[in-house]
Amino acid sequence: MLELRGVNKAYGSNHVVRDVDLNVEQGEFFSLLGPSGCGKTTILRMIAGIVAPDSGAILLAGTEVTEAPINKRDLTLVFQNYALFPHMTVADNVAFGLTMRGVPRAEIQRRVREALDVVKLPGLDGRKPSQLSGGQQQRVALARAIVVRPRLLLLDEPLSNLDAALRDQMRWHLKEVQQQTGITTVLVTHDIQEAFALSDRIAVMNAGRIEQIGSPHDIYTRPTSSFIAAFTGDINLLEGAVEGDEAGGFAVRLNDGLRVLVSGEVRHQAGARAKLLIRPEAIALASPVEPDGHTRDENVFEARIDDATFLGAQVRVSLRVGDLPLIASVPGHGFEPYPASRTISIPRAACVLIA
Amino acid sequence: MSLLLEAARQPDRTAGRARRAIDWLPVALLLPLFALFVVWYVAPLFGTVLNSFHPHGLSGIRTDEWTLENYLEITTDPYYRTILIRTLSITAAVAIASAVFVYPVALFIDRQKPSVQTYLLLIYITPWLVNVTVKAFGWVLLLGPGGIINTALRSLGLIERPLPLMFNEFGVFIGLFHAQFIFVLLPVWAAMQGLDKNVVYAAANLGAGQATIIRRIIVPLTLPALAAGLIINMTMSLSAFTTPALLGGARTKVLSNLSHEINLVQLNWPLGAAAGVVLLALTFVPILLVRALGRSRIT
Repeated sequence: MLELRGVNKAYGSNHVVRDVDLNVEQGEFFSLLGPSGCGKTTILRMIAGIVAPDSGAILLAGTEVTEAPINKRDLTLVFQNYALFPHMTVADNVAFGLTMRGVPRAEIQRRVREALDVVKLPGLDGRKPSQLSGGQQQRVALARAIVVRPRLLLLDEPLSNLDAALRDQMRWHLKEVQQQTGITTVLVTHDIQEAFALSDRIAVMNAGRIEQIGSPHDIYTRPTSSFIAAFTGDINLLEGAVEGDEAGGFAVRLNDGLRVLVSGEVRHQAGARAKLLIRPEAIALASPVEPDGHTRDENVFEARIDDATFLGAQVRVSLRVGDLPLIASVPGHGFEPYPASRTISIPRAACVLIA
Repeated sequence: MSLLLEAARQPDRTAGRARRAIDWLPVALLLPLFALFVVWYVAPLFGTVLNSFHPHGLSGIRTDEWTLENYLEITTDPYYRTILIRTLSITAAVAIASAVFVYPVALFIDRQKPSVQTYLLLIYITPWLVNVTVKAFGWVLLLGPGGIINTALRSLGLIERPLPLMFNEFGVFIGLFHAQFIFVLLPVWAAMQGLDKNVVYAAANLGAGQATIIRRIIVPLTLPALAAGLIINMTMSLSAFTTPALLGGARTKVLSNLSHEINLVQLNWPLGAAAGVVLLALTFVPILLVRALGRSRIT
């Protein structure tokens, strides 16, 4: 549906988008995720035709649109600040794109009403944007974009200006609307939860490049770089060297001597330096009452609890295995801080090697 | 310095009584200018308004009698009425021309690089920096019977007799339009600069072409700025004195010239006062007009 081939953009010496290749399938919800300044919004604005790429090609449904004017692309963009027309009513805002397409008046009225129903905002047709709350403005912007039934819907941080509770609500609503309309959607966001909750696939960006493309689950559990690992959640990043094969996987000898078993195939030569990623929630603390038996798929260590911070659903536990500090995140329900000496277990599958 | 700090601290210390207590320092600082205004502006203006209701006699103002005769004369005498209508027509023409020309110019400037914009605006500001008399004589060189335009047209054989480009309404119009265009251009340009570019992109994104964007987005959103500019523009056209005097000549007087003539040549102060009061009242017309217009179009 949408394809980017070797797209580059620089502002002066600031190379904001570097060799970006991208393929978005028909009906897919695709996200560009990255920290601010990583070039994701620039990519979106290039797709929309607001910014022209320095090199590369943008294809929409197989047709090159790299040079096509902004008003001839048949895609719509929901701006971060909504960019509603302040002098027009809600109905006129939503009707704007239809008027531009020469749709008959009666049909415009019908489709405007439909679109406002889809975004659950009926009865406010006569209001001006300044008379609406942030959430309502957001819905108008969404209605204005979907009412023309575009080939592609672009969302530029659509939820970032809303407060936390409303953001959560709008996130589900956005997903619902996208599934209902089936419009191929590209979302730009720096919010990991948002990208994970909404997307079929995510491209994680850093400093103008796409570092990894995959499903939310892939990105979280199998990040290909320490940047992505750290950006998408809390991590324990441990350094060591790859040792030989082990039944069903291989071993990594950490710098301080600890030996960790990793599942999967060895893609490294023995002795190669490597970084080992363990998510805090993958570390389990054995119950102090009845230490359970561990399977051979787990790494088992003796650890000491240094500190525990209660966060409600989770407890963040600072551990020490020998001299190696680890962060664990365990369910808050039933957490016991004592005894301090504890057996911990880490599934082999939860240990990820990063080159 | 310590006095100012003390004054600043005062409200905190007497938080309960702060609302009733008057902070005298700002009042004291404003007082000299206020006194100056009262003595040399408000009082004479008040005197002028009073004078306009007294009859004029051989010995001057007859302060013991009251009359509306002066106002009747200004508004009904054919000579005075012609001048009144001319003043209003020229003001309206300048305002309309400014409103029509401001959008192409402002849009053009708005699209340039910031550094270029500064220079372009400077070009439009220069007429305001040049002394009004110098400017008027500059126009004489261009528009006069022996001026550049007429000489050029005659040597090309296009006309036999010089075109009447000045010493008439057209000359006054050109002079005022040129001098006061900036008061419309600056606010409209500033409004365009302040416009959320995403709103313009949103319109284009939904399929609007250049002309539609200008007509349906940019013009409606900059109308309040145009209205504000037009208030200044019209007020200045109404009260302009030198430009009409030099480019209009004796045959094309406007209200300010008339008021000068009655006051300082005829020495009929009551009638002159009435002319002045009418002029003052007229300057409120554009303000009310534009405000009414603004209220109906923009919320």
